[in-house]
Amino acid sequence: MFGIVDCDNCYVSCERVFRPDLNGKPVVVLSNNDGCVVARSNEAKAMGIKAGTPYFKLQQQYPDKDIAVFSSNYELYGELTGRVVEIIRQEAPAYLTSSRNCSRSGIKINSDVSRLPAVFRYSIDECFVYFNGNGNDFQFSTLHSSLKEWGENLHKRIKKSVGMPVSIGIAPTKTLAKMASHFAKKYKGYHHCCLIDTDEKRMKALKLYPIDEVWGIGRRYAARLQALGVQTAYDFAQHHESWVRATFNNIVILRTWKELNGIDCVPNEEMARKKSICTSRSFNGMVTDFDTLRTHVSNYAARCAEKLRQQGTVATIVSVFVNTNFFREDLPQYWNFQEKRLTVGTNSTIEIVKAATEVLRDIYIEGYHYKKAGVIVMGISPTSPQQLDLFDYNAEQFQKMQRLDAAIDRLNKVNGSETVVLGSQQYTQKDGKGKANVFANAIRHDHRSKNPTTRWSDIIKLK
Amino acid sequence: MSISMSEIKLIKGEFKEKLDLLFAPGVKAGFPSPAEDYLHESLDFNRDLIRHPEATFYGRVAGDSMQDAGICEGDIAVIDRSVEPQDGDVIVGYINGEFTIKFLDLTHRKDGYIELRPANKKYSPIRIDENDSFEVWGVVIWVIKKWK
Repeated sequence: MFGIVDCDNCYVSCERVFRPDLNGKPVVVLSNNDGCVVARSNEAKAMGIKAGTPYFKLQQQYPDKDIAVFSSNYELYGELTGRVVEIIRQEAPAYLTSSRNCSRSGIKINSDVSRLPAVFRYSIDECFVYFNGNGNDFQFSTLHSSLKEWGENLHKRIKKSVGMPVSIGIAPTKTLAKMASHFAKKYKGYHHCCLIDTDEKRMKALKLYPIDEVWGIGRRYAARLQALGVQTAYDFAQHHESWVRATFNNIVILRTWKELNGIDCVPNEEMARKKSICTSRSFNGMVTDFDTLRTHVSNYAARCAEKLRQQGTVATIVSVFVNTNFFREDLPQYWNFQEKRLTVGTNSTIEIVKAATEVLRDIYIEGYHYKKAGVIVMGISPTSPQQLDLFDYNAEQFQKMQRLDAAIDRLNKVNGSETVVLGSQQYTQKDGKGKANVFANAIRHDHRSKNPTTRWSDIIKLK
Repeated sequence: MSISMSEIKLIKGEFKEKLDLLFAPGVKAGFPSPAEDYLHESLDFNRDLIRHPEATFYGRVAGDSMQDAGICEGDIAVIDRSVEPQDGDVIVGYINGEFTIKFLDLTHRKDGYIELRPANKKYSPIRIDENDSFEVWGVVIWVIKKWK
């Protein structure tokens, strides 16, 4: 059995921990640089505010509504969600696995039975928990009469200790667990925990669940399925496996079909590594000259490289996109998206920045007012073994790069991010002290909350 | 001769160290001691005073409403949200858009209200009725005072 613990409106809930007065009121959190809405409280959702609404439109649409607005404060969200994960780790039962199961997932185990971590963090606000067997033979069964009760208690403890509301779904597969967590979030009657542990409950859930909300079914496939008359998860699960194979010839879709039918088959490794990494931002104002644009793109590329190294992965495709401000109908419009394929996968800052700069050179056209740019790295695979290109690969050079990147990561970790950057990451406007400050200040965050859990200067004031 | 002397000394030294272990608190002789791992660890406030790190927050005292209880301006309060608040506890609450530190008085709970009591005659207790949306944000478990 699998459980998923999902923080409710995560960023909004984090802000509310130190602003209890905002409970029950509309709250939104904006993306980096205060571009658009990325998180909404239930009250904001009820008002009809959509995710992705540009901030200035929000002000136009609801001029007289009292909406609490926050710039995103990842320092705070990271710290508070870390506490949530810690509590889940404490509450999760020991997960025992036989060697047979392990060798299937590629891990070699000598002893017959081995302990694996029972908790797997999937994203900033989601965490998977693994349970042995069918849920009746837990070590903690003396403490909790059922998995349902375990989940309800977990929610209570997280809510009380951290102030974060969570929704918990528990089911035989990850896809079904995700579905269950949606039910737990939507209907109060579940007391924050929905358990799908019988075929009857599974069927009922599938019938109520729209196909386009199923985990792993992208927008494109959802549209195709709907065109084929598949409206709910139930409709899809009822089809025969051969139909799924013949219609889609896609391993991910087939897996999802199996998972909906109660067969666990989404591997853990797959969840850990996302298919692509994107770093993008809307600019504070508009950019016309190549040098400034290149500086932005270099920084996004460097960030992607850093993320790859954190995951222990390399990428083979570096793509760059730019676009003008689509809301400025008075200005000429332009957008472009190009990629460069690398012969050898890399996570080196220098190489990824170089590739991104080359792509940018191709797509940059003078005369436009650029509003946004981004770097996406794809074709991500584990660091080794790599497909080596005999002509392009230089072992000595590769190792040198690795050492350099490791040193850069270390310095930036100890002394604060962007202490050491590539020359191309520097902004031409200088503050006399260093580039790092200039870059940090170039990002707009007019409504950023304090950091009461990570800075002594920001701890709450008690009157 | 001098070499063997030093050898003897060395053995003595080791023996003494093992003896110490036998008297380590809570350790039974003749057992591979689990305390062995802790022998060299110093006292650590983070480890010893904070029982629930995932539920612990800090706040700085502003004002003099708790000064008779020795809680003064500038002190740092260690707040544990996971502790169940009880009558007489020093707690942190949130009222009118501000965090406040007070004694929790549950005497009149049956009469439909509770009180937050200051420790300073200048201020009167804050009465909270059942209808008020009030929750105890956390319980103060330590107060740290800087003297120098």
